[in-house]
Amino acid sequence: MSALLRSLRDGRGFDGALALLALAYLFVFSAFPLIYNIALSFQEVDMFSLGDLIRPFVGLANYRTLMAAPEFWSVMGNTALFVGLCIVFQLGIGFGLALFFQQDFIGASYLRGLFLAAWIIPALVAGAIWKWIFAGDFGVLNYMLMSLGIVDERIFWLSTPAISLYSVVIANIWLGIPFNMILLSVGLAGIPKDMYEAAALDGAGAWGRFWHMTLPMMRSTLGAVVSLGIIFTLQQFDLFASLTQGGPANSSNVAQYWSWQLSFQNYDIATGSAVSVLMLGFVIVVAFLYVRSTREEHQA
Amino acid sequence: MANIAKKILLGAAGVLALTAAASAEPVELNVWTIDRQADPGYNYVMADEFTKLHPDIKINIKRVEFADWANEIMRAVATGTTPDVAYVDNPNTPFLSAKGALLDLTPYIAESKIIDTSKIFPGPLSTVTWDGKIYGLPRGSNTIALYYNADMFKAAGLDPEKPPQTWAELYETAKKLTDPAKNVYGLAFSANSNEEGTFQFLPWAQSAGADFDHIADDGAVRALEVWQKILDEKLASPDTLIRGQYDSMATFNAQNAAMGISGPWELPRMSKDAKFDFRVALLPIEKAGGNRASALGEGNNVIFAKSEHPKEAFQYLEYMYSQMPRVWNEFGFVPSYPVEAKDPKWPAQYAVFAESMKNARARGPSPDWAKISKAISTAIQQALTHQTDAKTALASAQTTIDGILKK
Repeated sequence: MSALLRSLRDGRGFDGALALLALAYLFVFSAFPLIYNIALSFQEVDMFSLGDLIRPFVGLANYRTLMAAPEFWSVMGNTALFVGLCIVFQLGIGFGLALFFQQDFIGASYLRGLFLAAWIIPALVAGAIWKWIFAGDFGVLNYMLMSLGIVDERIFWLSTPAISLYSVVIANIWLGIPFNMILLSVGLAGIPKDMYEAAALDGAGAWGRFWHMTLPMMRSTLGAVVSLGIIFTLQQFDLFASLTQGGPANSSNVAQYWSWQLSFQNYDIATGSAVSVLMLGFVIVVAFLYVRSTREEHQA
Repeated sequence: MANIAKKILLGAAGVLALTAAASAEPVELNVWTIDRQADPGYNYVMADEFTKLHPDIKINIKRVEFADWANEIMRAVATGTTPDVAYVDNPNTPFLSAKGALLDLTPYIAESKIIDTSKIFPGPLSTVTWDGKIYGLPRGSNTIALYYNADMFKAAGLDPEKPPQTWAELYETAKKLTDPAKNVYGLAFSANSNEEGTFQFLPWAQSAGADFDHIADDGAVRALEVWQKILDEKLASPDTLIRGQYDSMATFNAQNAAMGISGPWELPRMSKDAKFDFRVALLPIEKAGGNRASALGEGNNVIFAKSEHPKEAFQYLEYMYSQMPRVWNEFGFVPSYPVEAKDPKWPAQYAVFAESMKNARARGPSPDWAKISKAISTAIQQALTHQTDAKTALASAQTTIDGILKK
């Protein structure tokens, strides 16, 4: 007994106890909800059986219902387009800004701080502001474009099916740039300055230094930013809720918003869970790629 | 069997207690509502007055955001932590009563001196009835009608005494009143992709002979084609597709729309914001002299089946029900049973809304209303964005709805 106590206080038992705590935490707050969600997607669920664990098993019926929905493929396509465009532009612009503020000029760090404003604003507030900017009849953007003579007619950013998704993309790019910029700035700051000086002395031009030094040194940071970016983009819900509600006619609907609509507007929780399981599968692939890319980094 | 016996006993106990003097045990009732305290919120006012009459009953009000309502109620039902009394939007009531989440009020009402369900208008009554039993009491109702800016009518040479009566007149009037140079649309309404779009469309379809369970009828197709025409010719803002009723009517109040379709809940704000002569007319119908229909809005007060104090909860429901004559002036609801309206605010508008209440039809009632409604609003949006024509869109909604109703 005393041996066990001693081991718990100072020794293998202690290590084990610490690991167990972490595992218990992971199980309760990560694994359990995930498993519960996956289980929901294979069961027949209504609000009165939400609290039970044992419910009628329906196999793939929920997934079949989902795939049979006429909007399924357009929602999936929208989701891919939304994530793809957001990542490309958030990363591109964020990286550009990070490089820019890496230069030594007066006020560089203060200006960089200002960009954080977008990161601080809650997405719902950002949504309200963008709604006002994009409003068709009295929106700020239309007013600007028309007074500058760029367009003659108002553009209905949020209610034209061909445009609505791109409007949300623009708002989300704006929202995501600071996050990308800050993480990439941290990565850039980690590259020793003397390396650049040595390279410059050896005659490497600005482009050569970027291509052969900055990019390879930033590889793991970029991997992390892209993976986290994909996950954050797949989480983006508030902008859809405040700007278009997935409309008009599902033209700007994406998986995460659809899942919520199915569960909490149609009370079809099982099908809603099936959508989130599909998303989960995708995120696992992304996380796997991320882990692999950083692992190779360590080995190199 | 035991359950029935229990219900009878409970009912009998309730009756006994109602006639007896107030019991000595202090009782706490948990009440959920979507009202805002400052508005002045219906339930806050009612609870305050009720507890003054019954000092032995304490009421705890929890406010739930309308958008979170389903979420909160689902969690409460799943975990067995439902409140005693709650407000439920009328199309959602059958969803709860069909699944046994609500207390059957029939035995209580049978003994009540205050409540006579035969007086309740058929629309609201149908939303609280399930399988011949009563599961809630309407707290008030509302319905939609046509608001119009009489000053703009005069400026355009139209007679403000003669608001449009038919769809064709509505279209013509909207066309005359639309003035892009001044940022004025002829009409403001809501065709967004949720319940509000369905709520606004159904009366159009119903007055032309269709209904939610035969939504592909020609009448509904013609109604949807009128909506298409109004949007295609920009007589209403393209943002109609993504705006709710409250936001749409804000453009009417700001004189960016000459007419607007909405309900009496707009009146308090309108009388503050609208600096012009606003009037209300019955919602236009397809042909003069045809059937009228109007959508039934607002909701019901219900008691949850798991309530430990059904007797006191019912007393509270009775009290709220008895206050029906005040709901128009104080809360902007139209009474759900005929009351003598003394000195109503906005008397002309009251007359129109009270009149259109006679034609107000409930949505459904169906426990799967949310899915049915989604099918209809999807069809509306598909047709208005010309992804398909009105006939195809409504036919595919009909297929979805048939699938839901057959289950």
